[in-house]
Parts: sequence; structure tokens; C-alpha cells
Amino acid sequence: MSKNIMKQIGKYSYVIVFLLIFLVYVITSDGLTWLGVMNIFRHSAIVGIIAFGMGLVCLTGEIDLSVGSMLALDAGFAVVVFNVTGSVFLTFLFAILFGAFAGLINGLLVGYIKMPAFIVTLSTMLIYRSFAQYFCQQMDKELIGGGSSVYKMSRDIDSYQGLYDFGNGRIATIPTVGVVLLAITALFVYLTTSTKFGKKVYAIGSNENGAKMAGINVNLVKTSVFVITGILVGLSAFLWIAMNGSCDPATTGNSNEMYAIAAVVLGGISMSGGKGRVFGIFFGALSYTVIDKIIVALKMDSLINDAIKGIILIIVIMIQIVGPQIKEKFSK
Amino acid sequence: MSLLKMQGIKKSFNGVEVLHGVDLQVEKGQVHALLGENGAGKSTLMNILTGVYVADEGNISFDGHEYTKITINESEEYGIAFVHQELNLFNDLTVYDNIFLGKEYTKGKITLDKSKMVKEAKDLFERLGVAINPTEVVANLKPSEKQLLEISKALFKNAKLIILDEPTTSLNNDEVDHLFSIINGLKAEGISFIFISHKMPEIFKISDSYTVYRNGSFIATGKIQDTDPESITKLMVGEAYSSGETYEPRQVGDTVVSLKGYSGPGFKDINLDIKKGQIIGLTGLQGAGSSELLHAMFGCLTPTSGTFTVNGKKVKPGSIHDAMKHKIALLPPNRKENSVIPDMTILENMYLAEQTLSARHLPIKKAKEKSRYAKFKAMLNIKAESEDLPILSLSGGNQQKVFIARWLNTDAEVLLFDNPTQGIDVGAKAEIYKLILKFAQEGKTIIINTLEIPELQRVADKCVVFYDGRIKKILEHDEIQETKVMLYSTNAMKEEVL
Repeated sequence: MSKNIMKQIGKYSYVIVFLLIFLVYVITSDGLTWLGVMNIFRHSAIVGIIAFGMGLVCLTGEIDLSVGSMLALDAGFAVVVFNVTGSVFLTFLFAILFGAFAGLINGLLVGYIKMPAFIVTLSTMLIYRSFAQYFCQQMDKELIGGGSSVYKMSRDIDSYQGLYDFGNGRIATIPTVGVVLLAITALFVYLTTSTKFGKKVYAIGSNENGAKMAGINVNLVKTSVFVITGILVGLSAFLWIAMNGSCDPATTGNSNEMYAIAAVVLGGISMSGGKGRVFGIFFGALSYTVIDKIIVALKMDSLINDAIKGIILIIVIMIQIVGPQIKEKFSK
Repeated sequence: MSLLKMQGIKKSFNGVEVLHGVDLQVEKGQVHALLGENGAGKSTLMNILTGVYVADEGNISFDGHEYTKITINESEEYGIAFVHQELNLFNDLTVYDNIFLGKEYTKGKITLDKSKMVKEAKDLFERLGVAINPTEVVANLKPSEKQLLEISKALFKNAKLIILDEPTTSLNNDEVDHLFSIINGLKAEGISFIFISHKMPEIFKISDSYTVYRNGSFIATGKIQDTDPESITKLMVGEAYSSGETYEPRQVGDTVVSLKGYSGPGFKDINLDIKKGQIIGLTGLQGAGSSELLHAMFGCLTPTSGTFTVNGKKVKPGSIHDAMKHKIALLPPNRKENSVIPDMTILENMYLAEQTLSARHLPIKKAKEKSRYAKFKAMLNIKAESEDLPILSLSGGNQQKVFIARWLNTDAEVLLFDNPTQGIDVGAKAEIYKLILKFAQEGKTIIINTLEIPELQRVADKCVVFYDGRIKKILEHDEIQETKVMLYSTNAMKEEVL
């Protein structure tokens, strides 16, 4: 019986990690407020949403390094679309479609041309970031909402305030972007656990050849997980500009691919594919935001941020790997 | 005096005893066959002998010394070598690198003495009568050469006892003969072998003595010349075995599968008509094209010319999905590589293929899938506690039944079986062939590719013998005999002579 409980705990280790980190946050921050806690959702939204796409990609045994650069390019161009059309709907549509297109390029090269995903997405990471910066310099200043090297939404457009309010608003005290994150979480948990597509993704990561022999169109599924990731990056890009009103092509989305991968791994998904539950990604993403908050609460230099995140990642993975070995020793 | 004596070996895992005090005695210069179904305890015993596991009880005496336990390094030092079924070679290194890895000869202290290593390797290969180039990269060797390389490696370590675990699974008959002649040569030099195999003809050809285990218990031992395959099989499976002839002629219907001038990678100009309810056996040496033909029919290889129709409708070449839509199913060889999705449950492994056909209805209805599984579990006699257990918790035979269920679940009418009984114990083999007969009775069209002629004798209406990519001869059921098939598949019998 206790063995069973241990097994269940092992399955949900990502919740424990989150709770431990959250506990530290509660202790270190003086006076925890409801709104403060809800803000965790706000700050987890961008990386969290991207991480679900990364999770699918990792489940097939691949990787996507381009998501951070893709976010900057997509958000930058979406700003331009907004400045030209003034339509929130067209901006949203563009962000999603452009993300899907950028993901499709990765997907076709990996799925059909069979190039290694690491190389393909490393290249597109460079390309997308460079495009984001280059076009920002070359474009008519009018289009990027001013003279600086930043894509800025023009505040003169009527719909600007509405979009900004959406990005920074709350629904029943939960930040709107947090609600989007929750919705995406629910959607992806459903997609991976209860649909035929989800099972195909797992099957490919577990045994690609076996999946092919069972009739699964491996090329198509692989391409589609990159497209889905692109769409999620598009959604994140839209949320980003709604939250910030601008996009700096040099910094927006920097290292986001690494945070997304870290959230995926912290959530318990195997980088070799086929194993792990997508629900963990949600907690993986939240955990990282809470670490940020702890550092702020402790008034530490924010430059130490990544070091702490890296150390926690190493510790958690070490426990996951060493834990079973220790257990085996004791059971003997 | 015996080279190896293991007495009263007991071993438990997590409180469950898997070896109940078994014995084994191997004489010097002999080939000793280790027999038993999967799970009989052969591998556990061999792992104890080679130091992977430590026995809970019992004595081991090897070459005149008594041991209570052996470590992996000690067993190697004493001269025990284990040639595993999955070979432990470094594919990207050369042959001599593999032989001398970790104990290379050097000039001075650092520089490798390559020529000395190459020469010694060459000398050994010559002595064995093996034509392997020591400087070749291992990846370029044939499976049989890799097997011989493993044995050579063992000889360089001065092995006195070599354990061969199913050494012939990936070899064709010529290569098996070559391997056996080398084993016989080494026997004469006083080297002993433990031979693990499921293939009766080979066991009787090469072994001097045998020991049978069943469910972790010692059953019998003796000289091979004093027994016969029938009695050995009875000892292995116990009461459950009935050798009764299962074949019955069946009523066949209209032509379902039709191949015309079908050519592709590895097979040429195949013309074949197969009727509803027929069971056709394909056979031939490794690489003769019969396996490739099945793969092309299922769309995982692309044919170059000719047509393949099912019920008069053309099947799109090179598309697995289209083949499945034409109700074709392939149970592929090498279960672990081509069928098992290791991270998934039994149920998920079963429903995966059907779901690619019904992909438009995105949600999975688990209750419906479960009831389908329950139906197949009863039909195929799958021994599993729960459908939510990992597929890897099942034995090989039960896994294979799950994959048969996978394809029956797609409502396939044309069932292609490529080496369906690979790595499965005798009991499960008999069950699978009984099922194949039942499917044919129900009107399914069946093609089986196998090298095991006795199995074809039990089920096949016709046997199509391949040689060098072409159909060499089609034998009727009554003509299927091992020697006859062998003569055609090695091209020893010319068509005109008959």
C-alpha cells in the first residue's frame, strides 16, 4: 500500500517541487497577497504557453531552439500589422498564422527532409532573431511606431487601449493572460491524454520505427508538433504585445527556449521522448516564476537568477535519476 | 572430469524464487544444449554463471576450483565467455579494435602496435577458417561474421567455456553450417559450449548432451543421442504439449490477393494469386526476397514495377496507410524494433494502429477500446492481469498476441506474418499457429514468411520457395518437407530436373 503511495508521489514529483519552492516564497516574502500570488500566472504565461509546444516536440524526441527568436519576430511583425491595420483581430490572426508558418518551416525540415531538429532550429533561431532586428532597422519608422530600435504599437490608434487593457486586465482577480495559460493547460492535457493525436506523439517518441509500422504517419505528426509550437508562439507573441505594447527585437524572448525546455524537463518529460505528462509543464513554468519572485523578495541581485534556476534544475533531475537507484539499494 | 558443475542453485528476486535449486554439468570439449521455454530460468542461471547475479544458494565448480560466488571479471578470468543474442560489438570500430579493446598491444608505452594486433587476429581467423578482414569496420560485416567475431573475441581471452545464446537467429542455413563446423573444430581443441536455442534441428545437429528446465526447476539431463525432438519438447512444456497435427484442408473462396510482375528492392517479377481463406507460406534464405515482398505489400518498401491488387482494387505503392485501408496488416519481424512501443500500456499498444484509420474522431473512447481488448484477450488467450500494465511486463509470446490483436482490431482481411514466432517459446508458438488456422477458417487470407519449415508443415496450404529474389518453386501442402525446401532455397535443385 505504502509502495503505491510512493509511486503516486513519484508520478507527481513536479507538484512537490512547486510546493517546496512556493513555500520558500511564502516564507521570504513579507505579507503574501492574493493578487501577488495571482501575478505568478501573469508572469508564467508567455514561457508556459510556449512550453506546451516544446513539450509536444520533446515527446516526439525532438527539440525546438527557435521559439525565443520566433517570439521576437512574430511579436515585432504583429506590431507592424497592428500599426498598419489598427485591427486587434487582424493582429491576432497574423500572429497565429505567422507563428504557424515559422513552425512549419522547422517542421518540414525536420519531418520530411529529416534534418536533425537541433541543427534546424539552431539555424532558424539565428535567422528569426536576425530578421527581427534587421527589419526593425530597415523598416519605415512610421510602421514601428517611432524612431527607436523597438517595435512600438502606436498609441494613437483607437483600439490600442482596449488591447492593452486586455493584456493587463483581470478576470475574477486572475490576470487575463493567466486565464489563457490555464485554458491552454487544460487543452493540452486533454490533447495528450485523451486523443488519438496525443497517443501518436507518445508512440513516435517511444519507438519511431514501431510507430511507423503501426501505420502512423511519422513525418506528418512530427511536422505538426512544430506547427503547433509555432501557433503557441504566435499566441504568446500576441499576449506579449498586449501586455507590453512593444517588442524589443534584441531582448524579447531571449533564452525563452531554454526556460521552456527547463519547464518541460522540470515537469517530468523525458528529452529522449515518449515519457512524461504534459500537466507537469504547467507546474514547471510556475516554479520558475516563483524563483524570480523569491529573488526579488530577498532583494538579491537579479543577475544570480539564472544560476539558481540552473541549480534547482540539476537537483531535481538528480533526485529523479538517483532516487530510484537509492530505493533499489534499500529494498535489497 | 567435468569442466563445469553447478549444484542446487537457488535464486530469488524480490522474494519470488525463480530458480528452485537447479543443477548443470558440462563436460570438457562438448556442446551442451540448455533447453526450456522462455522464463524457464536459463538466462538467470547463465547470468549467475557469468557473475551478473549472485546465487542465493548452491555451489559452482569450474575447471577444478570451487566457488560460492563469481564476479563478472572473475568469470572472464576463469575462461567463461557469454556471446549474447544481441551482440556486444562496437560497430564503428574495426574488427581488431573490437578484439583487443582494453588490452591493446603497444610499442613502447603509448603507440599502438597495430601490425601485431592485425597479424594475431588474422592468424586466429585462419585457424578458425573464417574469412574476415581484421581491418574492416564492424558495421560492414554480415550478421554471421559478427557472430564469429564474438566467438573469436572469447578465444582471445582464452575462454574454456563459451555460452552461445540463440546464435543462429539471424543466420541463414549456410552460415549456420559454417558456424557449426567452427564449433566442432573448437570442440576438438577441448573448448566447451553451452548452446541455448529454440530450434530443434540445430540442437540435435550440434549438441552432445542436454539439460531441460521448466519454471525454474531442473527436469532432465542426458545425452542427445539417447533422445528425440518429440520427447525433449514434451519435457520442456510439460503436460500442455500436444503434438497432434493441426493442419486441416479448408474451403477456399475467390482470389483476394493478386501480384503481377511485382518487383522491388530485393524481389523480382513475382506473380502470385492467393484465395480467400488460404494460408501461403513463404520461405527462402535470408535476403532471398520473401520478407521484402511482404514489406512492399504493406507499403513500407516501395515496389519498382508490377501491380498488387486486393479484391481487384489496386493498392497504392509505398503507402502503409493505403495498405491498411485495403484491409492489409503486417505483423513485422523483430518485435522489439518494429512492434513494441515500450513506454505504452498493453491497451495503448493494441489500439494504436486502428486509431490511424479512425483519426478523424479525435477523442479516445476508453470504455469502447477496453471492451474490444477484452474480446481479443479472450480470443487470443492473452495472459495479462490488466490492460493498463506496461507492454514490457508481458512475456514475448503474450506481447506478440497483443500485436496480433492490434491488427485484428483494424478489421484486416489480408494478414501478413513475417517471422511471427521469433523469440517465442514452444507453447506460445503452437498457440499462434492454432490461431492462424482459425483466422483462415474465418475467411482471412494469410501469408506467412518463415524459415521454420516444421511450422509451415502445420499450417500452410502452399509453400512458396524464394531464391535470389524470385519464386523458385511452389510446393503443395503434402510436398512441404525440410530437405526439399532446402534444396530449392539453396538452388541445389534445378527446375528442369523435376
